[in-house]
Amino acid sequence: MDQIKTKKHVFSCLFSFFKPYLPPLIAGFILILLSAGFAAAAPVTEGLITTQLTSDAMDLMSGTPGAGIHFEYIFSVVFVLVGLYLANAACSYIYNFCLTNAIQNAMFDLRDAIEKKLQKLPVSYFDKHAYGDILSRITNDVDTLSNALQQSLPQIINAIFVIVFAFIMMFTINVWMALIALVLIPGTVLLSRFIIRKSQRLFQAQQDALGNLNGTVQEKYTGFSEIKLYGKQKEAIEEFQAANRQVCQHGFKAQFISGLMSPLIAFMTYLIIGSIAVLGAVNAINGVMTVGNLQAFIRYIWQIFQPLSQVTQLSATIQSSVAAATRVAQILYEEDMQEQHTSESLANAKGNVSFEQVSFGYSPDKIFIHDLTFRVKSGQTVAIVGPTGAGKTTIINLLLRFYDVTGGAVKIDDVDIRHVPRSELRSNFGMVLQDTWLFHGSIYDNIKYGKDDATEQEIIEAAKIANVHDFILSLPDGYQTFINEEGTNVSQGEKQLITIARAVLADPSILILDEATSSIDTRLEKKLQNAMQNVMEGRTSFVIAHRLSTIRNADLILVMKDGRIAEQGTHEELLRQKGIYETLYNSQFAEEMD
Amino acid sequence: MKLMFRYIMKNKLLMVFNIIGLFGFALVELGIPTVVSSMIDDGIAKQDIAYILWMGLVLLGLALLGSAGTILLCYASAKISTNVARDIRDDIFSKSQTFSHAEYDKFGISSMIIRTTNDVFQLQQFINLVLRTALLSPLMIITSISMTLYTSTSLSAVVGIAIPIMLVAIVIMAAFVKPISERQQKYLDRLNQVSRENLTGVRVIRAFRKEAYEVERFHASNKDFTKETKKIFKLMSLSQPSFVLLLNLAVLGVFIVSSHLIGAGSLEVGQMVAFMDYQFHTMFSFMLFALVFSLYPRARVSAGRITELLKEEPSIHNEAVDMQIPAGKEGTLEFDHVSFAYPHTDKLILHDISFTAKRGETVAIIGSTGCGKSTLIQLIPRLYDVTRGSVSLDGIDVRHYDLDTLRNKIGYIPQKTILFSGTIADNMRFGKHDASHEELEQAAKIAQAYDFIMDKPDQFEEMVYEGGVNMSGGQKQRMSIARAVVRQPEIYIFDDSFSALDFKTDAALRARLKEVTANSIVLIVAQRISSITEADRILVLDGGEIVGCGSHKELLKNCPVYLEIAESQLTKEELEKWTR
Repeated sequence: MDQIKTKKHVFSCLFSFFKPYLPPLIAGFILILLSAGFAAAAPVTEGLITTQLTSDAMDLMSGTPGAGIHFEYIFSVVFVLVGLYLANAACSYIYNFCLTNAIQNAMFDLRDAIEKKLQKLPVSYFDKHAYGDILSRITNDVDTLSNALQQSLPQIINAIFVIVFAFIMMFTINVWMALIALVLIPGTVLLSRFIIRKSQRLFQAQQDALGNLNGTVQEKYTGFSEIKLYGKQKEAIEEFQAANRQVCQHGFKAQFISGLMSPLIAFMTYLIIGSIAVLGAVNAINGVMTVGNLQAFIRYIWQIFQPLSQVTQLSATIQSSVAAATRVAQILYEEDMQEQHTSESLANAKGNVSFEQVSFGYSPDKIFIHDLTFRVKSGQTVAIVGPTGAGKTTIINLLLRFYDVTGGAVKIDDVDIRHVPRSELRSNFGMVLQDTWLFHGSIYDNIKYGKDDATEQEIIEAAKIANVHDFILSLPDGYQTFINEEGTNVSQGEKQLITIARAVLADPSILILDEATSSIDTRLEKKLQNAMQNVMEGRTSFVIAHRLSTIRNADLILVMKDGRIAEQGTHEELLRQKGIYETLYNSQFAEEMD
Repeated sequence: MKLMFRYIMKNKLLMVFNIIGLFGFALVELGIPTVVSSMIDDGIAKQDIAYILWMGLVLLGLALLGSAGTILLCYASAKISTNVARDIRDDIFSKSQTFSHAEYDKFGISSMIIRTTNDVFQLQQFINLVLRTALLSPLMIITSISMTLYTSTSLSAVVGIAIPIMLVAIVIMAAFVKPISERQQKYLDRLNQVSRENLTGVRVIRAFRKEAYEVERFHASNKDFTKETKKIFKLMSLSQPSFVLLLNLAVLGVFIVSSHLIGAGSLEVGQMVAFMDYQFHTMFSFMLFALVFSLYPRARVSAGRITELLKEEPSIHNEAVDMQIPAGKEGTLEFDHVSFAYPHTDKLILHDISFTAKRGETVAIIGSTGCGKSTLIQLIPRLYDVTRGSVSLDGIDVRHYDLDTLRNKIGYIPQKTILFSGTIADNMRFGKHDASHEELEQAAKIAQAYDFIMDKPDQFEEMVYEGGVNMSGGQKQRMSIARAVVRQPEIYIFDDSFSALDFKTDAALRARLKEVTANSIVLIVAQRISSITEADRILVLDGGEIVGCGSHKELLKNCPVYLEIAESQLTKEELEKWTR
C-alpha cells in the first residue's frame, strides 16, 4: 500500500517536469503513430507486387497469350512504396527530435530543481545523509533516468503502435491466422514476467557480490602499506579471490537466465511462423489467400517480434530508472527549512552575542547541550576548547542557525536570532573552517566569494591582510591561478590563508574560526597566526582553538565538556581555579614548562 | 583486443560451444525463409498439400534446433565472459600485491580500484555482446552471401551496393558523434563537480549566503551539458530511421531487378521472397555488428588501462642474500650518505643523509611539510629504495634482506591509520598472526586501547567495519599502535602517530611505551616540538638535508631552523625557560 503511494508520487513528480513540454511530447507521439502506420502499410503494399509477379509468372509458365510482367503496375506500386518509406523515415526523424527536446528539457529542469532544493534543505539533512549517497542521487540517478527515458520512451511507444498496427493488418488479411499470431503476446508477457522475476533476484545477488568485491578491493588497496609491512599479501589474495568467485558465479547466473529471454521468445515466434506458413500455404492453394498476403503476414510477424524482444530487454533499464527516479523524488519531497521571522532586524549587528540557557539535541529525544549560558561583548575573542565531541562545533552550528536551539535562546544585540531571516543573520558572519572549502575556479573568484561587488583593489587588499598576497603573486598565473579539484597546486595552509582573505573581504562583525589541528607547514603557521590576528581585530570572534597562543590571548575561554561549559573565564582566572583547564593545560604543555 | 583474446582463449571448449550455438542461430534465421520459399515455389505452385505439411515439420525441427543453439550460445557466452572477468581480476589483484609504493603512487589507488572493478566489468559486458551478436554477423554474412549467390547472382548486386553505403554512413556518423560525445563527457564532469562542491561546502555556502550564486553556477553548467546531450541524441536518432530507409530501398531494388528476372524466366517468386528475407537478416546482423563495434572504443580504453597495470613491473624486488651480521653492528640502524628521488623523477627529495640509531635510543625527525621526513622513514622497510647510498640494519643493507624478514623487524605506525574489516583481535593479530589473547591484552593496555575495547559490547571480538568507520580517529590510532606493539619489533617507527590523541592519553601512552621500547630503536617523525623534547637525538630536516642534529636544548642554541620552528609553536615564556 505504502509502496504504491510512493510510486504514484514518483510518477506525478516526474510528470510535473514534463508538463511544460507536453506539446512537443504529444507531437512526438502522434508522429510515432504515423510512422508506425506507414511501416505497417508497407508489407501489404509490397505483397501486391509479389501477388502480381506470382500471377504473371504463372501466366508465363502456362503460356497464356499476351502474358508478361505488368511493369507499369509494379512501378506504380514501387512509387507508392517509395512514398511510404520516405514518409516513415521523415516521421521517425522528427519524432526523435521532438522527444529529445522534450526529455532533455525536462531533465534540465529536473537538475536545476534539485540544485535549488539542495540550497533550501536544512543543514541537518546533509549531516544525516551520507555525502556519497546524496551525490550519487544528484549525479548518477539523474543520469540513469535521463538515459533510460531517452532510450526507452520512444522505443516503447513505437513498439506499442507497431504491434497494434501489425495486428490490425493481420486481422484484415486473415482472422484465424491473426488469432494464432496473437498467442505471441500473452506468451511473451508470461514468459518475460517469469524470467524477470527469476533474474531480479539473481541480479540483486550479483549486485551484492559486486558490492562486496568493491569493498574488498577498496580496503586492500587503501591498506596496501599495512599489507606489505605486515606481509599479508597471500591472505589478501585469498580473500580477494573468494569475493571474485562469488561475483563470477552470481554474474553468470544472472546473465544466463536473463539472456534466455530472447531465445525463448524467438522460439515462440518460429513456431508461430511455422504454423502460419503451413496454414497460409494451404489457404493459398485453396485460393482463400494470395501469395503476396502470405509473405506480408510473415513480415508482420517479424515486425512484431523485433519490438517485442526489444521491450522485454528494456525491463532492466526501466526497473533501474524507476529506482533512480524514486531516489531523486525523495530529495525533492524533503521538507524545506522553516523561516518564521518577526519584524526585528539584524542588518548591521554590533556583535554582542549571548547564549541564554540554551539546550539542544541533534535528535529531540537526546538533549546534548544543556543549559548553556555565556555573554560576549562586541569585539571580544572567545576561545572554545575541549575534547572532540564536547560540543564545540555545535556552538557554531547554533550561532549560524545551521540548527535551531531546542530550548533557551541565542541572541545577537539582544535580538533572538530565530526572529530574523537566516540570510540577514548570516550577513553578519564570516567563517574560516579547518576543512578549507574552495571551488574549482580562480583564486580571484574564490576570494571574491566573500563579497559579490568587490573591486580588484579590495580583493588584493584582503589578500594582503590575510598574508597571502605575496604567495599568490609567486604563482605563474597570479590571481587568475585555478584551484584544481584536489587543490594540489596550493598547499593546505595556503588554502586556509585564501579562505581567510575571503572572510576579510566579507567584512563581518562576527567571525568564526576553526583552527587547524595539525600538520601544516611550520613556517606557514606563523603567517597563519598573524593573518588570524589581523582578521580578528575589531570583530567578535569565536575560535575553536588548538594553539596555546590563541587561547591565552582570548578574552573569554569556554572549556566544553560533554555538552556543558565546564569552566569559563580568562587564562589566568582559569589557571587559578585549578580545574579541568588547569589539568588540560598542564598535560598539554607540561614538557614545555619543565 | 589482444588482452581479451588471450583470456577468451582460456575457454576453448566453451568457445566451440559458442560457435556451435551461433551456427544454430544462423540456421533458423536463414533456414526459415528458405523453407518458406520452397513452400511457395514447390507447394503452392504445385498445389501439393502433403509437401507443405512436410515442410511445416521441417520448420518445427529447425525451430527446435535453432533454439537449442541459441540457448547453448547464451550459456557459453555468459560463462566465457564471466570467466574472463574473473581471471582478469585475479591477475590484476595478484599483480597489485607485488607492487611497491612507487607503483601505487603512479596509478593512484582510486584508479586501481576502478581498473579492478569497473574496467573489468566493461570488458565482461563487451565480450558477452561480441560473443552473442557480433560474431554472428560474419557467419550470417558468409552464409547468406553464398545463399544469395546460389539463388541469383544479379540480385546479390543489390545487396552488394547497399552494404558499402551502410558502412560509409556508420563511419561518418561515428566521426560526428565522437567530438560531441567527448564534449558532453567534459560538461558532465563539470556538472558533477559543481554538485560535489555544493555538498562539501554546504556550511560555507550558507554562511556566505551564496545559495543563489550556486544555483546560477549550476544552471550554467547544466545548460552546457544539456545542449551537447541534445545534439548527441539527435544525431544518434538519425541512424535507426536511416538504416531502415536504406533497407527498404534495397527491397525495392530487389523487386525491380527480380521483376525483370522473373519476366525472363530465370527466377521464381518464392526465391525472390526468400532473397528478401536473407537480405533483411544480413543487413540486420550487419547493423548489430556495427553497433557492437561502436562500443569497442570504450572497451578498448578499459582494456588498455588493464593491460597497463598488468604489464607494470614492480620496482622493488625480493633479492635476499645470505649474510652474517658483522660483529658489533647488532641493533644498529644506519643511514649512510642516503639520497633519494622518487622513481622517474630527477628532483632529490633527500640529499646525503647520514645518521645512526642504536638499540634503546629514540631519534626524532622534525621539519616543515615537504622536507622529506616521511620519505626518509619509508626507506627502512623498503617501501621505496634509496637512489644513492645505503640504509642498513644490523650492519646489513636492507636490500639484502628477505622482504618479509626485514619488515617483520619493524613496527611502523603510519600517519593515517588503516584498519581492516574483521574483529578488533583480527586487526591486532595483523602484527603477529599467532598472538595469544594475553599478548593482545598486554599490547592494548600499552597502547591505551584496552579501556575502550572493553567498553565495546563484544570487546576484542567487536567488528571493525570497513575503513574503521565505527571508531574515532584517536581509537584507530591507538589500535594501530597496539597492532605494532603486538609484533614486538626491533624498530618502532612513529610517523606523526599521536596527532589524534588527547593530551592525557598521549602522555599515558608514551609512559607505557617506554617499557616495551627500551630494547628497540625508536624513530619518531613529528610536527610539533612539544612532542619530541625528550628524544635522545633530534634530526632537523630542511629541503631534504639534515641541518641540525642534537638534543632539544642544543638545537635551540645552534640550529636556526629549529629555533624558527620553536618560535612559531611555543610562547615566549616557554622558549625562555628552555634557553635559560
